[in-house]
Amino acid sequence: MQNILLVAIIGSVAGYLLSLFYRRLGPIILLLISLYAFAMLWEIPSNTAENFLGYDVLYLTTLGKYFALLSLIVFSAYAIFNIVWIETLKTPHAFNALSILTLAGTLGVFFTTNLVVLYIFWELTVFASLFIVPMSKSEAKRAAVWYVTITAIGSFAFLFATFLLYSKFYTFDLVEISRNLSQLPKPTIWLVVCSMLTAGIAKSGVFPLHVWLRNVHGKAPDTFSAVLSGQLVKMGSYLIALLLSIFPVTTLFPHFYGGVNILSYILIWLGNVSILVGTLMAIKQNDMKMLIAFSTVANSGYILIGLALLDQVGFAGGLFHVFNHAIAATMIFLSFAAVVYRTGTTKIDELGGLIHRMPVTFITYLVGIISLAGIPPTSGFISKWMIFQSLVSRGMFVTEIFVFVGSIGSFLYVFRPLAGVFLGQLKSKYKDVREVPIIMQIPMILLVLVTVFFGVFPGQVLEFIVGAQKEFGIDAFQYEGTKLITSMGYWDTWIVFVMFAVGFLIAAVLYLITPKGKKIPLEDQYTSGEFLHNFDLYHYASRFYAFLEREYGDHPSLENLYASLVNALKSLGKGIDYLVSRTASAYVFWLGVILLLLWKGW
Amino acid sequence: MAVAARVAGVLLTAFFFGLTFEGIGRKVTARIQKRYGPPWYQNFIDVLKTLTKHGWTHGWIFDFGVVMALGGVIATLTFVPLGNFVAFPGLDNFFVIVYLFTVGALGMAMGMVGTGNPWASIGVARALTLMLGYEVPYLIVITSLLYNFKTSNISTIVEIQSVNGWNIFRFPIGALVAFICLQGMLGKEPFEAPIAPAEIASGPMVELSAKYMGLLMLMNTFMEFVEISIFVDLFLGGGNYFEFLLKYLTVWIFAIMISAVLPRFRIEQAVYFYWTVPLLLAFIQVFLVVAGM
Amino acid sequence: MSNRGNVKIDERTVWEKIADQLRSRSMWMLHYCTGCGAVELPPSMTSRFDLERFGIGPMATPRQADIFLITGYLSVKTLRRVIYTYEKMPDPKYVIGFGSCTINGGIYYDSYATINRLDYYIPVDLYIAGCMPRPEAIFEAFTKLMEMIRKGEANGWKRYKENYEWYKQNQLRSLGEVIIHDEFHE
Repeated sequence: MQNILLVAIIGSVAGYLLSLFYRRLGPIILLLISLYAFAMLWEIPSNTAENFLGYDVLYLTTLGKYFALLSLIVFSAYAIFNIVWIETLKTPHAFNALSILTLAGTLGVFFTTNLVVLYIFWELTVFASLFIVPMSKSEAKRAAVWYVTITAIGSFAFLFATFLLYSKFYTFDLVEISRNLSQLPKPTIWLVVCSMLTAGIAKSGVFPLHVWLRNVHGKAPDTFSAVLSGQLVKMGSYLIALLLSIFPVTTLFPHFYGGVNILSYILIWLGNVSILVGTLMAIKQNDMKMLIAFSTVANSGYILIGLALLDQVGFAGGLFHVFNHAIAATMIFLSFAAVVYRTGTTKIDELGGLIHRMPVTFITYLVGIISLAGIPPTSGFISKWMIFQSLVSRGMFVTEIFVFVGSIGSFLYVFRPLAGVFLGQLKSKYKDVREVPIIMQIPMILLVLVTVFFGVFPGQVLEFIVGAQKEFGIDAFQYEGTKLITSMGYWDTWIVFVMFAVGFLIAAVLYLITPKGKKIPLEDQYTSGEFLHNFDLYHYASRFYAFLEREYGDHPSLENLYASLVNALKSLGKGIDYLVSRTASAYVFWLGVILLLLWKGW
Repeated sequence: MAVAARVAGVLLTAFFFGLTFEGIGRKVTARIQKRYGPPWYQNFIDVLKTLTKHGWTHGWIFDFGVVMALGGVIATLTFVPLGNFVAFPGLDNFFVIVYLFTVGALGMAMGMVGTGNPWASIGVARALTLMLGYEVPYLIVITSLLYNFKTSNISTIVEIQSVNGWNIFRFPIGALVAFICLQGMLGKEPFEAPIAPAEIASGPMVELSAKYMGLLMLMNTFMEFVEISIFVDLFLGGGNYFEFLLKYLTVWIFAIMISAVLPRFRIEQAVYFYWTVPLLLAFIQVFLVVAGM
Repeated sequence: MSNRGNVKIDERTVWEKIADQLRSRSMWMLHYCTGCGAVELPPSMTSRFDLERFGIGPMATPRQADIFLITGYLSVKTLRRVIYTYEKMPDPKYVIGFGSCTINGGIYYDSYATINRLDYYIPVDLYIAGCMPRPEAIFEAFTKLMEMIRKGEANGWKRYKENYEWYKQNQLRSLGEVIIHDEFHE
């Protein structure tokens, strides 16, 4: 592990220097580091401790290994895609160096259970990614401020809890702390656990700290959005998973409903609200990247619900959902990056019909959304199924409403870019658009294969999940080959896939034996007998769900609330500024205050 | 081999009885409107006729969408228990069926929007919004059943009903909610806004010609078959093959009769309706289940 | 269009004969309501006469339709739409002309904007005489058309393909050229 981290940190410097000569070298170095790290990490058994620069701080849990391997998949795809995409950036060398540094930081987070080391790597990641965010659009600077502010709330809470724990136990080691945590008084436990979880909640974009995602995902460089949504957000989920499973949460907190303790129940409610907010807001977005940013909020809610259930099926579902969402979000954001690379816009209603020009990008997006919406035979369904099974077996019906709204709502919002960007009329402006270069297609095709493969054969992912569950003393999820078993019944991914193929075959045969359809151009449309001359207008994309949107049009917005808080702070600052500036009036004021104090004798 | 025979059995049942019952449904509607109505085999003729015509296609996504729609629904159908006739015993998990179902729906939506006609997009947007309406109360009610019986296998619930009596009597409110949702799933009036022919030129189907129309008619038949079968299995006790078909026909005719006399909700009215009355009733049902009544 | 060579227009394979049996029993109609004939269709479809018992029903778009009903007189402006719509229908397709207007212009025969003979522009399989035809006459026509389809005599769609140049020529001659900049300046 030490080697991997050192290689990554040194690689970041090397990446910077080499990309000064040739900008495409940076992504290649990132790719090599990712592949090297993947190969090395695969061999390291879990529960190994290692030194880092002479300190005994690194400890690899199965959970950490699972997240690290997942991150490396995301980073590899990102690196391959960047080899060509990097030419659109003004500062490729800094971008490359910071990308590699982000990788180093996240891997560091996954490799340790020492709270201070974890904090340092956490801040390293935030620091590195923070400077990438404003690199392609100038208006993204404000987004970066959102990002760093919200993340800082979490990390400062985390740091506070870390030192509070140190003052009690004189150690930073999480495993040791968790053994003795129950000795603390109740309010302290609440304070510590909640402030540590805040870091995870802020990073994974769960309500009420979800407001940074829209701006940051929407305005960050196009490929980096894939890492943000597919990987950095998952770092928050990792922290939540680690804390919930390593602390004896079920014994520390009283039982509330359906075998769920009160802390988990609160977290589940945060997840519920995240799903609702994420889904409803995603349906409204006209910017495709912001749309998927809100879908990330909703999916973080799913992950949080799964993890907070802390049981055999739900926890496994939450962890599996981390995998699915990471891969799906990467696919979706990479396909958007491809679209933006060719067309230069992210507005859904400015695009249209790109399927006729960019089929590979379309297929990537399609498989991505099928997985995101949880439709078999992709892996996305497996995790949703597990979470549903767990919720139903506990009878958590109110949570189910939110989960189902999120699930059906995801069909709505993922369909909006599908219809607006890829299907429909091809805009005359983009008649000459071509498919992206082959190097960009490679990571997209690979991710498609990964999604479908793990949807049919989820064994390898489940092995890690079961390992993580065993490690923390949770009953392990049961599966035999491709057969997934819960107390409520089982299903078999392979048989479902085979039947899917059979169904497809029957339909294809029916399709082939009947007379062949004649190909007509897109402009040959039913237009109620009217002649059209501008088919750009014959495309339904803006305000796609207008009839639904107006039902919740005037909703309260947390983003506005935070913005007004900022304004209040600003005016307070202005007042203070006025009072402390060296003007005569300020001088008189402060003199008066001091005299008053002296006279009163304080 | 036995599995293949059972799968073929399910598919052929859905084909023959699905289309026959649709024909009978048309007859019933006609009689309600004091007409004579088409013969019961009219839908066979309609489907086969469309398959003989020479249609138009708007590109590969249109063809692919149609094949995916039909293929996805056929795949779903094979997992649905017809009473005690099950192609894959033990694999009829409710959530798997509900989510496999969406493959077909997605295929259809994708293919139809792929034609590039905005009416199709509007129809699909309406269909998805309507789905947001009816699925929530429906899933709440069904999961309360699953919670009550501690299983999500439909055929297990069918077996339990053969001992305990039909669920429609034990959970009348739930059955009512599920039936109202079924009406939306079938796309029958008053929840017919996605395919309003006079308003948005039959919505998703606007560009469908010849065999594309025929294959999607088949898909629609199969979808109806899946939806009603689940209702019959969960609330009317399934029963053996013939009992099942009889119950199926009863539910179908009941739905048809309601649709024949009602006008159409606007789409947001439909969603509003589903999220108020049926959702409230669904929670009364849930309360009764959790309280053990 | 495709030249059918020396294959005769009413020759059919066995499959086509079977298909024609099906086509005659399930006719979906597109009623292009150009004139007064349209008012005769609702009574034909509803309780009194009930077209659906022959498998005939209204369809929303030309893509799904089999028979095209021209229900009355045509002006130059509507003819454009009729041709446009006809070409969107999938083969095989049948056209029925309603009333005397489609035969010779009817009472509007001497108007500057009226099309007097429909079958110069699209092939008509069947005319219904009268001004306007009663539902009984419409039924007569539909049963006749069903018979024609079964016998392979309703070949308008093949004639249109075969004599496409001739039809196009007639269409262009009557319609003239419209110079269009966008959809608001037709």
